[in-house]
Formats: sequence, C-alpha cells, structure tokens
Amino acid sequence: MTDVRTKPRRVEVSVGAGGRGPDLAEPLGHPRDPGDEAIGNYTINYGPQHPAAHGVLRLIMELDGEIVERVDPHIGLLHRGTEKLIEYKTYAQALPYFDRLDYCSPMCMEHTFVLAIEKLMGLEIPLRAQYIRVLMAELTRISNHLLQIGSHIMDNGAMTPNLWLFEVREDTLQFYERASGARMHANYFRAGGVRYDLPDKLLADMGDWLDHRLQLFEDAISLVTDNRIFKQRNVDIAKVSKEDAIAWGFSGPMIRAAGVPWDIRKSQPYEVYDRMEFDIPVGTNSDCYDRYMVRCEEVRQSARIMRQCLEQMPKGPVATADRKVFPPSRAEMKTSMEALIHHFKLYTEGYHVPAGEVYMATESPKGEFGVYLVADGTNRPYRCKIRPTAFSHLQAMDFMMKGHMLADTTAVLSAIDVVFGECDR
Amino acid sequence: MTVALHVPRYADAPASLGKLANARPRPGLETAFDVARDDLLAVLTALRDEHDYQQLMEIAGVDYPDRAERFEVVYCLLSLTRNHRVRVHVATDEATPVPSVTSLWPVAGWLEREVFDMYGVGFSGNPDLRRILTDYGFEGHPQRKDFPLTGHVELRYSEAEKRVVYEPVQLPQDFRTFDFLMPWEGPDYVLPGDEKAAAPPTPPPPTPQTTDKPSDTGAGKPADAQVTKDARKPRAAKAKSAVTKPSPRKKP
Repeated sequence: MTDVRTKPRRVEVSVGAGGRGPDLAEPLGHPRDPGDEAIGNYTINYGPQHPAAHGVLRLIMELDGEIVERVDPHIGLLHRGTEKLIEYKTYAQALPYFDRLDYCSPMCMEHTFVLAIEKLMGLEIPLRAQYIRVLMAELTRISNHLLQIGSHIMDNGAMTPNLWLFEVREDTLQFYERASGARMHANYFRAGGVRYDLPDKLLADMGDWLDHRLQLFEDAISLVTDNRIFKQRNVDIAKVSKEDAIAWGFSGPMIRAAGVPWDIRKSQPYEVYDRMEFDIPVGTNSDCYDRYMVRCEEVRQSARIMRQCLEQMPKGPVATADRKVFPPSRAEMKTSMEALIHHFKLYTEGYHVPAGEVYMATESPKGEFGVYLVADGTNRPYRCKIRPTAFSHLQAMDFMMKGHMLADTTAVLSAIDVVFGECDR
Repeated sequence: MTVALHVPRYADAPASLGKLANARPRPGLETAFDVARDDLLAVLTALRDEHDYQQLMEIAGVDYPDRAERFEVVYCLLSLTRNHRVRVHVATDEATPVPSVTSLWPVAGWLEREVFDMYGVGFSGNPDLRRILTDYGFEGHPQRKDFPLTGHVELRYSEAEKRVVYEPVQLPQDFRTFDFLMPWEGPDYVLPGDEKAAAPPTPPPPTPQTTDKPSDTGAGKPADAQVTKDARKPRAAKAKSAVTKPSPRKKP
C-alpha cells in the first residue's frame, strides 16, 4: 500500500542553472541557455487548515508549473464515527447526530433518517406535519445555498455579497430557532411528525420574509452574476460531461448543472412535494458557473415552494397519535397515567423498529443524501450507513482539476459545495 | 404491515428484473438481490447495461459476526431513466476479497476504500485500496461489531515533547452501555442482582435403584425382636431393663 508520507516524492524546483546557481567554472563565453532547464512536476500540500478548503480538507496536488496534474484529496480529518455511535443509541438519540453531519442544512439530514424509520415502521404522519417538513426543508435549502453561494463568491475574490448573504441567512437561522429552539442543531423532525407545531405568527413572518427580505439575495448576486472577473474565474472551469456526471455518481446541483434534469423531489416525490409547483433548473455548459446559477435558481424555486406551503398548510396535529412512537403532550402527562407510562417508555427504552432494511434517499441541498438503515427489531439501529453527497463529488475532483490552474482549485471546490461534517461523518 | 405513503415514491420494479440471472430476490420492503461473489460483476454489468441502472449511489458494508461469511457488501443502484432503485447484496469474510466494480463505475473507488477501511473487506482489482476516513497509521477496522466504541488509542498534544502523541485509551469512568430493553422481552444477559435466578437449574437427582429380592438389598437378617422392643421403650423403662447391677468383682 502506498502512503503519501512514505512514497518518495520528486520535488524539483529549478532556479537558475539547475538550482545550483551560476557555475563559475564554466567559461564565460558559453552561458547556459535558460530554455534548456528541465522543470519537473512538484507536489504541494493544500490544507488541512486552509480558509478556502471549506473545512478540514487536505489536498496533495501535483503541479506542473501552475497547472494541476493530479489531485489526491485526503479526507477523514473530521471523522467522528457517527455511524458507529448511532449503533449504540436508540433511534431518538441517534437523530441529533444527523444535525451534525451537514451542519449547513441540518433539517434535511434529519429528514432522510426519519423517513427511513417511518418506511420501516410503515408509519403515517399527519398532513400538517408533511407540510411543515417540506416548508422547513426548503427553508434549509435556501439557508444552505445562501451560505454556499456567498462563500463561492468569496472564494473567487468578492467580499461584499457574502456579507449581504449572511445577513439573509441569519434570518433563516432565527426561523430555525423560533421553530425548534436551536439556531442550527434543530433536532426538530421526529419519527411520526415534527416536535412542535409552528405558531401562526412564525408562518406569517416567514411569508413576510419571503416577500420582502429575500430581495437582498437578488441584490447580492446581481453584483457578481454578470461580473467579468467572476465569469472569468468560473466559466469553462471544471466541465463535466453528462456521461461522467452519471458514472461518478453525481447528484443534486452537480448533476443538474451537467444537464441531467434529475431531482428526487420531482421524480420520487416524498411528502407533499407532488402538490407543489416548481421547476428544476438545468445547466447547459456544466461548469462552475452553471453550478452557481443552478443554485441561484434553486433558491427562487425553494421560495416558491415555501409560499405554496404557507398557502396550503392545513390545521391539525403535527405528529402521529401513535403513542408507542411519539410522546404525549406535557399537559396530558399531568393527568393521564397512560400518558406518563408512554412518556417514560419512550424516553428510556425508545420505540422498536421492525426488522428490515431500507435505502432512503432524499434531495438534500447538496444532492442525494441517503441512509441505508438495517433494523433488527430492537430499539437501536443495527447499522446506519450514511451516504454523503460530497463523497462522490470530491472523488471526481481529480479529473475535474486536471489541466486547470492552481488558483481554480478554490472555485472548483466551492462549486462542489462540500461540508466535511457530512463527508467525513 | 401498512406502507407509509409519504416516503419517496418511485416507479415499480421493471418486469425485466425477473429475468436477472444468478440473483436471488431478497425479501423486504425494497427490490434487492442476493448475489454470489463470483457472479457480482456479471450481475452488476447486466443491471447497468441491460436494465438501465446507470448510477451506483452507495456501497455499504454490514457486519454480522455470527455468520460464516460475516460481512455483507451492499450496492445501491439508481436508474435515472426507469426511476427505480435496486440493491445488490454480496457476502464475504475477512480473507476473501470481493471483485471491484471500479471498471463499471469509477465512483466505486472511494466507496470501496471506505468499506475496506471500516470493515477490512478486500476488493480485488481496486487500483488504490488505501484507508480513507481513519487516521494515518490507524490499526483495526472500526465498524466491525467487535471493535470497541471507544477505540484503542487516543491522541493528545504533549507539551513536553512538543508534538501529538498517541496513547492507549484511558477512561476515567468505565464504558457503560444501556440498552433499556424490557427484561421480559428476552435480552440474553444477567441483570445485576439476578445472578442466582439466572443460574442454570441444578441437575435432577439420579434415578433411585430398585431391587427385586430382599437378599439383593444388602441388608442382613432381621434384628432381634427384643432389642427392637427395648429400644422403643420409654426412657425410664429402658433404663430399668438395660442397666443391670454390676457383677461383683473378685477382689484381687
């Protein structure tokens, strides 16, 4: 097995006469021709602590001058053994780990896991809970894309849009807090529904925000979308053909930018996505600029879905009435012995999931986020394999970077939209 | 069992899947097949080329320590055109490698590396089978069921040596695991305080021997009737009859 640390590296940086300086013994009449100097490839280390690495990513890059010949991403620096930990926790205890995977879109991570549990249990959830989940998932998508677009722009040299976009993103985090009590690690979705109902004031404020505040997003991207420098740094960078995108397991905005109109929300609709009207943006050139534009359009489409959710959302319960899965309300516990027992059992033993296996995939903001869940009939998952989106995208970095300049690395990397909490698990 | 309607709804399994050779359908909620190791490449090639499963989304490993071939490698395929998902399961053990599918899908490179890293399953034909998620120089395969949750080594920055050092894990408090299963639903361990109750039952006493004739019993002749009668007399009467005057001794 070759290890980068042990493998002999060829580091040849030729300066002057082969790095030796002027050879004074040489007769003055025969100077060396500078064009004859052999300059070999050299290897540089990028990261793991690099502001444009979007976390802890280490890239071993082989350069020919400033042209990237080979990229070997070293991941796993943020590996926390989430899958192993989940095997030792009950289903309810495992849920908060999902917030910490892709910490830029926590609720979408939870969404996949609770859907996997519900599929195994054959559990139905009330309509209002489905609307709330879709609403919050789309809010999460906007929140994720605002961060991604902002940092993508900043990685390409523009500062202002990022600051403006953070301003809007802060609003989404406040909606998170008002819904779940936490700004980021929400732990809001539950098997059987969602934890709390959304107050009417919050729904009204969300509608208000969509109508008035989200305009700041348009203002921010208008600064760069047609900007010459931004285009120079993104157009025709890291082009991926349709065939490559499919073979390399791309998903989400990456595969859509490659011209494949594939969106799990549309083709394999879950919850109330089939009642929503929205469009799937598709790229034509499959470069970093298309990825950026696809995400910009997705923000608008997500806003459209959120508006439809707010209009259509019915009144009613937000979680299943099955007390073997979802705990009773606090008030009920004060008067009902049955409710107290259910509460106690759910918070000690938890619920049992019937034995079986499912691969559940949803459209997270970054692409197909999947959970392969093996249940053995007890209160803990036997195996919970998480399919991160960034894993396959980052693997394709090698061929995407080939032949590009070193400075394009940041553009390619940020257009992938990689978050290491999810990639390394 | 009811099927939840709000989970992702995709197309029904294509009828052509019924003709898939060398694959046993696996019972369950989703379309899945069990495949022998040697048939894996042929089956996956057929799925990709004849049944239009263009994308390999995931390779998952699962560890079942009780089985003879303890590891299961699960390939999750997606058809973009037929809008369907299928899983292919293959079993293996620590020593036997699984054929690599990097020739079919380049994305398999890292996915196989991860299964190798986490379970130690080999993939023959993968050109770059290195560890991927664990630390440089890591030993062991953390997702195996016999690998402890706490791991074996921990690292810290040593102020004395001015570098990061690895040391065996020392837990200030013993590792505790709670499963909270109801005791009468059959967990197979002894609850604290129940050691005696859960002890294996004492073996039954040996079957008593029987004899056919009184002579086989080993008992002698019946005792003297008078002695028996005397022995059952009340104490005072017994004393009277049993205690006799000592015979006069001859004086020397």
